[in-house]
Amino acid sequence: MLLATVLLSACSKPEPPQLSQGTLLPSSRPVTDFQLTDHRGQPFTLENLRDNWTFAFFGYTHCPDVCPTSMAMLAQVQRNLEQQEALQQMPQVVFVSVDPERDTAELLSQFVPYFHPDFIGASGDQQNTLSLTRQLGILYGKAEADSAENYLVDHSAAIVLLDPDAALRAVFNVPHDPKLIANDFLAIKHYYEASQ
Amino acid sequence: MIKVLPALILAAWSLSAMADSAVRVNNAWVREAPPGAHMMAGYMTIKNQGVSEIALTGVDSPAFAHVMLHESQVVDGVARMIHQDEIVIPAEGSVELKPGSFHLMMPAPEPRLVEGDTVDLMLTFSSGETIRVQADIRKKP
Repeated sequence: MLLATVLLSACSKPEPPQLSQGTLLPSSRPVTDFQLTDHRGQPFTLENLRDNWTFAFFGYTHCPDVCPTSMAMLAQVQRNLEQQEALQQMPQVVFVSVDPERDTAELLSQFVPYFHPDFIGASGDQQNTLSLTRQLGILYGKAEADSAENYLVDHSAAIVLLDPDAALRAVFNVPHDPKLIANDFLAIKHYYEASQ
Repeated sequence: MIKVLPALILAAWSLSAMADSAVRVNNAWVREAPPGAHMMAGYMTIKNQGVSEIALTGVDSPAFAHVMLHESQVVDGVARMIHQDEIVIPAEGSVELKPGSFHLMMPAPEPRLVEGDTVDLMLTFSSGETIRVQADIRKKP
């Protein structure tokens, strides 16, 4: 009887995976509504996070070091996952601007697809950007400034992973390794599907 | 011969200046800016073979309106860029300017610099010495 109970609980509750790079949240955190615009000028809202996995990185196009490095790293994650024949649907990768004043949809339409043709750029006004970043534990704020137009923005370096229920599942802090992140993603996805 | 001689002397002089220098710069490159990006970052390894500390105090380049010295830092998960007045290279040591760390930051010129292009950088050190290096435009390290 005891063995049967143990077996039953083992079947119904899979063990959370041991991750190499990411931190899995003890319980997923659903995102509530927000309104951004994607790099094609189309609305990017909570609906765009449903029914697919999403990697999100928060940066700005005037950032020449950390942001291109992270975006190039995410492109490597994507290329790594594209080699996985068992993976039927690629996760979407979204670059959310923390500099909405300068990062227009037009600018994002040049910048974001450079790293991968399927990547999505999204920006919105401060209120809507904050409504998303606060839910995901992402911090940002203007820093060093020479003038009103020439400034730097401090921002969280983490990459977050949202599940197909539009809920925050895992956080990947720096340093980022594309192979480890790809492997962690597959493990988290497997765990999520086994838990359904 | 009269015309060639000054060039030879100059070449010999610059070679000896190089040989006397305690500073060696390797693997200088500038990351190709994505379309639409207004800023670029440059990287290199600077080796100081001398017995005294030396500092990189400034960089000029005909390719860029200006060049700044910066350091990216991640503190408590937040990435920030800190302007540097100088980058110190310890005696008999080296400093790597690399992604996520010390780097040069400069405005992206028009037309866009792309992989395969090269740019000249004039590095000025606290010793008063200036070293010219050629940096490749690359998509990745």
